[in-house]
Amino acid sequence: MRSETRAVTSGICALLMMVAAIAAPADGPRFTRREVTVEVPDVTLIDQYGREVNFRQEMLGDRPVFVDFIFATCTTICPVLSAGYISIQRKLGAERKKVLLVSITIDPEHDGPEELRKYLERYGAKSGWDFFTGTREDIDLVMRAFDAFIPDKMSHRPLTLIHAPGRDHWVEIDGFAGSKDLMKELELALGDEDKEGERHDQD
Amino acid sequence: MTRIERSPGRWVTTLLMVLLLSAMAAVGIGTAAEEEKSPIEGLTRAEALELGERMYRDGLLPNGEPMRAFVQQDIEVEGTMFSCESCHVRSGMGSIEGTVITLPTCGSWLYKPLQGAEMKAESQARVPSRLDPPPFRPAYTDESLARVIRRGKDPNDRVLNYVMPRYLVGGTDLDILVYYLKNLSSQWSPGVDDTTIRFATVVGPGVNDVDRTAMLGALEAHIADHNSQTRHEERRAKGGPFYKEEKYAPYRRYSLSVWELEGATDTWPQQLEAYYGKEPVFALIGGITSDGWAPIHEFCERNQLPSLFPITDFPVISDSNWYTLYFSKGYYQEGDTAARFLRRAKGIDADVPVVQVHRGDRVGLFLASGFRDARQSMSLPPAVEVELASETEVDAAFWKKLAAANPGAVLVVWLGAGDLESLEVLAAADPRPPMVLASSTQMGDAVTSLPTTIRGFTFLTKPDSFPEEEVRSRLATESWLKAKGLPTTNFEIQAKMYFLGWTLAPMVKMMRDDFYRDYFFDIVDMMRDQYYAIAVFPRLSFGPGQRYASKGCYIVQLTGGEEPKLEKRSNWVVH
Repeated sequence: MRSETRAVTSGICALLMMVAAIAAPADGPRFTRREVTVEVPDVTLIDQYGREVNFRQEMLGDRPVFVDFIFATCTTICPVLSAGYISIQRKLGAERKKVLLVSITIDPEHDGPEELRKYLERYGAKSGWDFFTGTREDIDLVMRAFDAFIPDKMSHRPLTLIHAPGRDHWVEIDGFAGSKDLMKELELALGDEDKEGERHDQD
Repeated sequence: MTRIERSPGRWVTTLLMVLLLSAMAAVGIGTAAEEEKSPIEGLTRAEALELGERMYRDGLLPNGEPMRAFVQQDIEVEGTMFSCESCHVRSGMGSIEGTVITLPTCGSWLYKPLQGAEMKAESQARVPSRLDPPPFRPAYTDESLARVIRRGKDPNDRVLNYVMPRYLVGGTDLDILVYYLKNLSSQWSPGVDDTTIRFATVVGPGVNDVDRTAMLGALEAHIADHNSQTRHEERRAKGGPFYKEEKYAPYRRYSLSVWELEGATDTWPQQLEAYYGKEPVFALIGGITSDGWAPIHEFCERNQLPSLFPITDFPVISDSNWYTLYFSKGYYQEGDTAARFLRRAKGIDADVPVVQVHRGDRVGLFLASGFRDARQSMSLPPAVEVELASETEVDAAFWKKLAAANPGAVLVVWLGAGDLESLEVLAAADPRPPMVLASSTQMGDAVTSLPTTIRGFTFLTKPDSFPEEEVRSRLATESWLKAKGLPTTNFEIQAKMYFLGWTLAPMVKMMRDDFYRDYFFDIVDMMRDQYYAIAVFPRLSFGPGQRYASKGCYIVQLTGGEEPKLEKRSNWVVH
């Protein structure tokens, strides 16, 4: 009976955790935010048009960049992350090119340029949101660099990383941010960018 | 116990009977189903379910407009971006991705209270009261279901995570969606009863005995393996500990029928319907034909019948069909990869002319079609197409003439080894073709006869793994075959069927007693990448709606010397 008790108790705990996962309180924290250091790997990836892109150059350009990890046939996590991206583009309107939104597939074998393009079309993405694929080895390198490596796409994490020009760190959002949260991060990044511009002007 | 039913050759009689019955039933069902009412005013049951399905799967309202919703409280989304199906999957049984668990939204789960565990009433009575958890969610009603869709509050007034969209839907539209969910996965699929899950495998006419035996032998061994545990499993199902009842009680033995097809492919649909009418099965597993798989694929789509891993190099290529999961795209994949490799080749610009040569047989057509479609998807100019009649002789004069007519063109030659021997003449052509692409599969064992002088600029597609790189998985397969007393006759087929059986049992077990065909494939879609048990591909991968498990194809070159080898010139996947 003792083992039965343990089993039932652990079953109840598991169920309660499951309920917690789905029915988290509305006002509870929905993501964690921290600053991280990222050594962006020097790899060549492929964008939604089949063009080869130098990933490091893309990341360390002259505008803020958001990076997330998704895949074209993903179930739960990617739609919410992508909805966040599209909300940024909608809010910025004509100024959307102030920021570069980048999605990187974690299913590079299935997601070729055509799948990436179809995915972006489905969300009504405008220029300024790019979706990259590559060899499995290169995608693994990128995931490891962002501390986002997972051995299999079904172990996916909802991560978004944000970088502002001139910053020596990235901001990692682990979880699901709302539109306001994302815009706040963008404002912070743009603020950093302005400061960086001023510093260069003084130089 | 394994049940193998071989065709008695009296299928014509059966077919006539089934057709007669079907015709009678069609008349009956036609009027009854169309007139069967739904709770939605002005809509029959069939109409309401069809509209609800469109909302659930495509995110479109009955008027054709996208559904609208908010996620994360303040992000507005449209149903064309993602739909209920995206997270709750096709069966409505929910999904698990990383740390995010999406609960079932199908009728069989929504309209019952959720207890701590699924148990029979008599088992529930055995649970000491101090351990008896209260239900953590009472059964949904139509009203509370409508509320959770709109406002995200469950029957306990708990607020769901804001990952769950709050839909801006109401009135009749909401009634239709609720009605659809109530009926989604509400009854077991055909092919399952209290003791048995029935499977069938299809064998086409003209399949040689070696291949047929290789396929059937491995499948039957898997079925026998599973059923050898029946006594033990049934004892556990009846008398196991109550807290494991949910896991043990759904045990079912397997049966396997062999559906033998005869005659021309245009008669296969009727034969398949006759078999199916006689014995509805839960899924088709394996199967082999020498005439392509299209008629069986279409039969499965019509009947919403899963077909798992048939042996064919001629699958139906579709990005929207659901019910057949293939090992790979077969010859089509080779053509596709050749086009992508060519695009990335250094020193060959996109405007370099390309000539594609093939015969009008099935192999040539599939290879050419893969190459053509890939170029089109990459917005590259189409290749010059040369389709040869079966009697056309391919000799040195043919190649000289072709090269002269298309100077400097890349040649994509989907021809057998015999036709390619005379390619040697191109080595001295001026200008020489910058690249020749061909299929190692089409050339078969004769690939090593490729003339030495052209090997430097000839690249071959190879859609399977190198045996020396799959030592562990080959050993696993060979050991299993040996243990089952099966001689290695066609290793490729046997390795594929070994993999099928290796994955089948856990997938069925994961269904527990939710025996819905769509859920079966939803589970397959959530499988992790597979390396260990597949000896003929470097890996297989899965994902929602992905219907070709092997995604790659190497590009290789033949080395020189007395004993030439194939050497890789690309990654497994080329974009």
